[in-house]
Amino acid sequence: MSCVRTRSKLRHAIIFAGITVAWLVSIQSAGALPLYARQTGQQCAACHNGFPELTPYGRLFKLNGYTFGGGQSGYLPFAVMNFSSFTHTQATQPGGAAPHFAANDNFAADQTSLFYGGEIAPNLGAFAQVTYDGIGRVFSWDNTDVRYARTANIFGAETVLGVSLNNNPTVQDLWNTTPAWSFPFVGSGVAPTPAAATMIEGGFAQQVGGLTAYANWNRLIYLEAGGYASLSPKMQSMVGVNSPTNNAIEGIAPYWRLALQHDWDRNSIEAGTFGMIANVEPQRVSGFGTDRLTDIGIDTQYQFLSDLNSFSVQASAIFEDQDLNASSNPAVGFAANAHNTLRSYHVKASYYYKQTYGVTLGIFHISGTPDATLYPNTSGTNSPNSTGVITELDYIPFNYGGPDFWPWLNMKLGVQYTFYPEFNGVSGSAATNNNTLYTFVWVAF
Amino acid sequence: MTKSLPMAHKSAHRFGPAGFVREKLGVAAIFTALVVLATGIGNEQSAGQSSAAAQGGPVTQQQIDGTVHVCTSCHGFGGRSISPTFPNLAGQQHDYIVAQLQAFRDHTRADPHAHTYMWGMAAHLSDAMIEGLAKYFSSQPPAAATPGDPALIAAGKKIFTDGISDRGVPACMSCHGDKAQGAGTIPRLADQHPGYIEEQLTNFASMARANEIMHMTSKDLKPEEIRALAAYVGSL
Repeated sequence: MSCVRTRSKLRHAIIFAGITVAWLVSIQSAGALPLYARQTGQQCAACHNGFPELTPYGRLFKLNGYTFGGGQSGYLPFAVMNFSSFTHTQATQPGGAAPHFAANDNFAADQTSLFYGGEIAPNLGAFAQVTYDGIGRVFSWDNTDVRYARTANIFGAETVLGVSLNNNPTVQDLWNTTPAWSFPFVGSGVAPTPAAATMIEGGFAQQVGGLTAYANWNRLIYLEAGGYASLSPKMQSMVGVNSPTNNAIEGIAPYWRLALQHDWDRNSIEAGTFGMIANVEPQRVSGFGTDRLTDIGIDTQYQFLSDLNSFSVQASAIFEDQDLNASSNPAVGFAANAHNTLRSYHVKASYYYKQTYGVTLGIFHISGTPDATLYPNTSGTNSPNSTGVITELDYIPFNYGGPDFWPWLNMKLGVQYTFYPEFNGVSGSAATNNNTLYTFVWVAF
Repeated sequence: MTKSLPMAHKSAHRFGPAGFVREKLGVAAIFTALVVLATGIGNEQSAGQSSAAAQGGPVTQQQIDGTVHVCTSCHGFGGRSISPTFPNLAGQQHDYIVAQLQAFRDHTRADPHAHTYMWGMAAHLSDAMIEGLAKYFSSQPPAAATPGDPALIAAGKKIFTDGISDRGVPACMSCHGDKAQGAGTIPRLADQHPGYIEEQLTNFASMARANEIMHMTSKDLKPEEIRALAAYVGSL
């Protein structure tokens, strides 16, 4: 017991020391994703509509490999981000909301991240993130996207050609409709969340390596294709994401993305499709074949951006087909059915006044085949169905530059309320008990 | 799918991952080392570039093309922009482009959009690069005219050609030319986004964009007169 306590103390001391060093290094010499503001010399609002949503220019910055320069690029390309929060759930969570947390009304230092990014070499740039999870109390690598991009003239039009090496399917995407960068951008880590999600909604986030090639023709057509492979358990341990319950992709899982974008006046509209097909060893169990998961998504986004009023709406639908040959094998016993389907819908609309005051309404709905093993519940419906309505108010005081002594400071103060008419296949008070009030302070510098 | 998905789902909806992993605390140390290493490399690169820019040596056509590509992200292909937040540059007067880029670089042009976008963009432009960019954009075919309300355009034309004598507003034409084509450091206004013209006249009036002549010219204009002028020059 005392040995465990000593180890835990040592771990916290080392983690604390790591954060302090990272913070000191960055504050002495670096700026903001603030680091991008530093590299480009531009204010946050140039690339972000109520960050992290991207403006048309922000998309081109990412598309071109994070290499556009201009600002004080002699600084170290670091940034630090932290968000901390208070969570209240409608019903208490007996036994604690999470290890080390009370049953309700929890303050948490949710996440502290160190970013590295920007231009590494001509045409080569990066977005990389290392995160300390203040709830799970672990360090791990986080969203990472390293890309090389060049411009060519194809059929008489500008064509940006590039490759992305990344660790999370859709993290490289340009629009805020695909899972890695869609609303809600933050959520409580100490509140219940729906159990079911499709594979592409973070099912392999940070546990895989992917290489994709893309082309953006005439700022009109975006095409991308590539594949993802699971990192070995040893590699996952090295980057802090290993778990015995992680699933493993057998071979390489193909990924695709097609999008059309049209801009006019202050408007930008996009419509597209994305998807991924993977043969999966559930929880790395081998010898029973694989499950085959097929995700097909469709998405659309509209933005109206002006200095005074900015409005945007994003919507996506993901259809997942699950052939659970391995999971449903009685010797494995992870699923009751040999075949399931799962659908995930998201829609969100937001309004920002002067890029400073924002209100966002989001609705999501998950539905699919009941499965007594995958989605057991007390009411006996064994259904994965959940519906959530999320309202969020945001205040971003420094989108046009921070205080004089540190102009790259960015901050977002938010209040988010999630209402669940349906939760893991149950409705009524069993669902609304999960309603969550989440207030957060999000700082990047 | 499998039982581990709920965990993954949770992480997917945060700004990054998390997970309940209890692995390796050495991860922290490895990453700090990797990031510091990578940063050193990146820093050397960028420092080299910025010092090269500051020296103001000659630039190659390839470097100019690369910078034009960055400019066109906002100002559109060939300097014909889509959003009125960003002015058309195609066909703009060469000397005006040079003067503005220098003013962004020196922070002597300080209207809000200059601060948000152009201070950074122009920070490391050498005089040779500014010359290359001005040459490129001034020689591009101008953007298409913006059609507008004929009555508004007519009202704008009257102010543009005659001024408003009882309030001492001079005819715009006397400096900007009869076709609003500009000359030297006096900008071309023809086919500019009306929204951009309105914003600049407002900036001159409030001194957000410091220019004594334009301040005197615009300070007595009423909002509807500014709209009319913008509609007229945009329609040319």
